[in-house]
Amino acid sequence: MESHSNPAVNACRCYYWHFGASISAYVIVIFFSRWLWHSVNGPWRTVVALLPIIPVIFIFASVVRFLLATDELQRQIVVNSLALAGGATALLAVTYGLLECDGLPRLSAWWTYAVFMSSWIVAAYFVRRRYQ
Amino acid sequence: MKNRLRILRAELDWSQAELADRVGVARQTIIALEAGKYAPSLPLAFKLSRAFSKPVEEIFIPEPFD
Repeated sequence: MESHSNPAVNACRCYYWHFGASISAYVIVIFFSRWLWHSVNGPWRTVVALLPIIPVIFIFASVVRFLLATDELQRQIVVNSLALAGGATALLAVTYGLLECDGLPRLSAWWTYAVFMSSWIVAAYFVRRRYQ
Repeated sequence: MKNRLRILRAELDWSQAELADRVGVARQTIIALEAGKYAPSLPLAFKLSRAFSKPVEEIFIPEPFD
């Protein structure tokens, strides 16, 4: 059994805890923000619409903290999978951008985020498998 | 790069988790190292060398050059 003094194990535990807590906060804040958005007017609407960014910053911070605290192989797996996901997203975004010029409908920027996160999950699976 | 990690670990009757603790990495990293799927950095190679009290070249065997 790996001990509590192992920095790589601690980094992993902290990551799961922080990531889970930040995702939960994101879900709560997004519902709260949607509910509050209808009750406010003027520039406050923009502020309220942007509220979910706060837990998203915490999600980002948890990934960065994990990268700094984990061991070299786990860091390599995360960085490689992020790079592959970024590349795949850029390729798809450029391809669709060109197809938009050819008449395809304009898509919401949310699609870029969804594609990036999905590509990250798929890339992480394949990159991790390389080392098993 | 080949290595003798599994043999050396077995000689000392250490589990993969125990070796992982001794050098401060995840067990998955030890699994990848033993399988020869990952070549460690110099600092990790020296940590392993210290853990087994053996020189690095007795633990890691480089592939012959083409």
